[in-house]
Amino acid sequence: MSNIDIELVSVSKSFGHVSVVKDINLQIPKGEFVSILGPSGCGKTTTLNMIAGFNAPSLGDIRIRGRSQVHVPPERRNIGLVFQNYALFPHMTVAENIGFGLRMRGASRSEIGTAVRDALRGVHLEAFASRYPKELSGGQQQRVALARAIAPRPSVLLLDEPLSNLDLKLREAMRVELKEIQEALGMTFVYVTHDQEEAMAMSDRIVVMWQGAIAQEGAPADIYSRPQTSFVADFIGRSNILPISDLVSHPPHLDFAVGGGAVRLRSAESWPGQDMRFCCIRPENVRLLQDSEAAPEALNLLTGRLRRIVNLGAQVELLVEVDPNLAVTAVVRSTLAGKLPMVGESIRLAIAPEDVQLLAR
Amino acid sequence: MNRITGILFWLALIAVLAFITLPIIVVVAASLSPTSSVTFDPSQWTLGWYTDLASPRWLDPFLLSVQVAATVAAISGILGMLAAYALVYERIPGSDAIMSFLLSPLSVPQIVKGVAIVLFLSQVGLQGLLGMPALIAAHVVLALPFVTRMVATSMANFDRGLDRAARILGASKLQRLVHVLLPMVKPGVLSGVTFAFIISFNNIPLSVFLVRPGDTTLPITVINYLEYSLDPVMAAVNVASMIFILAAIFTFEKIGGFSAQIHGGSK
Repeated sequence: MSNIDIELVSVSKSFGHVSVVKDINLQIPKGEFVSILGPSGCGKTTTLNMIAGFNAPSLGDIRIRGRSQVHVPPERRNIGLVFQNYALFPHMTVAENIGFGLRMRGASRSEIGTAVRDALRGVHLEAFASRYPKELSGGQQQRVALARAIAPRPSVLLLDEPLSNLDLKLREAMRVELKEIQEALGMTFVYVTHDQEEAMAMSDRIVVMWQGAIAQEGAPADIYSRPQTSFVADFIGRSNILPISDLVSHPPHLDFAVGGGAVRLRSAESWPGQDMRFCCIRPENVRLLQDSEAAPEALNLLTGRLRRIVNLGAQVELLVEVDPNLAVTAVVRSTLAGKLPMVGESIRLAIAPEDVQLLAR
Repeated sequence: MNRITGILFWLALIAVLAFITLPIIVVVAASLSPTSSVTFDPSQWTLGWYTDLASPRWLDPFLLSVQVAATVAAISGILGMLAAYALVYERIPGSDAIMSFLLSPLSVPQIVKGVAIVLFLSQVGLQGLLGMPALIAAHVVLALPFVTRMVATSMANFDRGLDRAARILGASKLQRLVHVLLPMVKPGVLSGVTFAFIISFNNIPLSVFLVRPGDTTLPITVINYLEYSLDPVMAAVNVASMIFILAAIFTFEKIGGFSAQIHGGSK
């Protein structure tokens, strides 16, 4: 008995001559919160629609709990789906909306009543059962949509950018709530989003999609600290992605040049065995050295001119020109802001070799 | 400047409203007149003429008109709904051409249609259908384009996301039709049906060819009566049928009154 809930086997989808999804393989274990993350047009919504059954794959197979779904229409897949625009039935009350799925399956009145009450309690909307969707705020409609999808107890819940129409505060609160609901139900959630913060905050696993293919797959912390391509490094969080040249191995280090050969850096990575073309350094791993501070021996040391200071609230972002061909972004805590040099003044940076990652693509 | 525009606006509005309502007011006044000629002395007004309406002379045509109009509303409502569903919602092959054909009766003058129907019926030996069956058939042809158009508009505006939502919740095609599509297009269907009823109830140019002598619809009876006399009974008939039509519209509105919750309502 496998514990895989959803399985995509070599799934491709083309619309005419346009290939939207290219040979995707994906296994989603039962009870996991998986995010499919990517920029618009990466094929994530098409993938979701194929799991839901609204689109048939051009090639490959989609299995739910081991059974092929290719010839099963959406209404018989027992999947829940939360739509981006909620798609609540405007002519039904909140309770009727939530009870719709069970009613269509011929559940008894008392069964529906119990499920609706449970679902309403789950999303804290007990007092709104007899309202119509138009009488609710966006956040409340969103909860009703969630309750409606969950009430029939589907095996899997798909969520299509469900928070994108809410304002920031509400969105952040809903992230926590969604995660709690998912854990309480132990239900498999597949969450499609272009918002990497959202994906990082909730997911057990993130599947990054780009140009119709899976760019990388893994735990959020993993993807953040070990991006495998410059696209992932750039899309997830912020990165200094620098083209490299002149790579030499000095075990246990790798030395290379950036900025067109102007600056040499050291990475703690072992010999990659293939052509590395970029290095990736997270801005928060770029340390600022105070004037008096001695330069630690083992670190990469850079000296440059401070070009720009951007206040991000809790943090301050610095753009440092190390060489006419090389600019590095650093992020430091705002508490350090008083100790920063002025724009145009000289500044010293330190980067640990462990924080310098090499990328082939 | 703003003040003057405001005054001009209100003057124009009053003029238009007067233009629409004054003839009706004259008819109402005429129906209350104590003598055969129309007078404007409210102290002498009487409802006496209205008692004439209960006579078979007016009651029978009224009942015929109501039966015809109700049947026409029902038939064209169902046909219009089916046509709009196939052509606009399901978009079967050739939808545009079929829709143009369905709307084509609009471009044929009613007199021409009336003559054509009479000629056709006598050619094929079906003169026996003159009277109620022919009236119903002809009025359906007349009303169908309006009904189809109205239902088609509401189907075109239907959010297909709702169909997908119902589908993933396990609703079969028939269940989605009954529980989602029909309730959503109901206001369009009801206004189409109301239109069909009024079109049939008021029709003269077609009906005049299709009624049997001595068994005519209300508007035809009125026309015939007007050839010989112009008196307050006439006005009373018109006021009564106007009230009847308003009541019919009001009833349909009530049935379809759900639309307020769907399309607007309080926040």
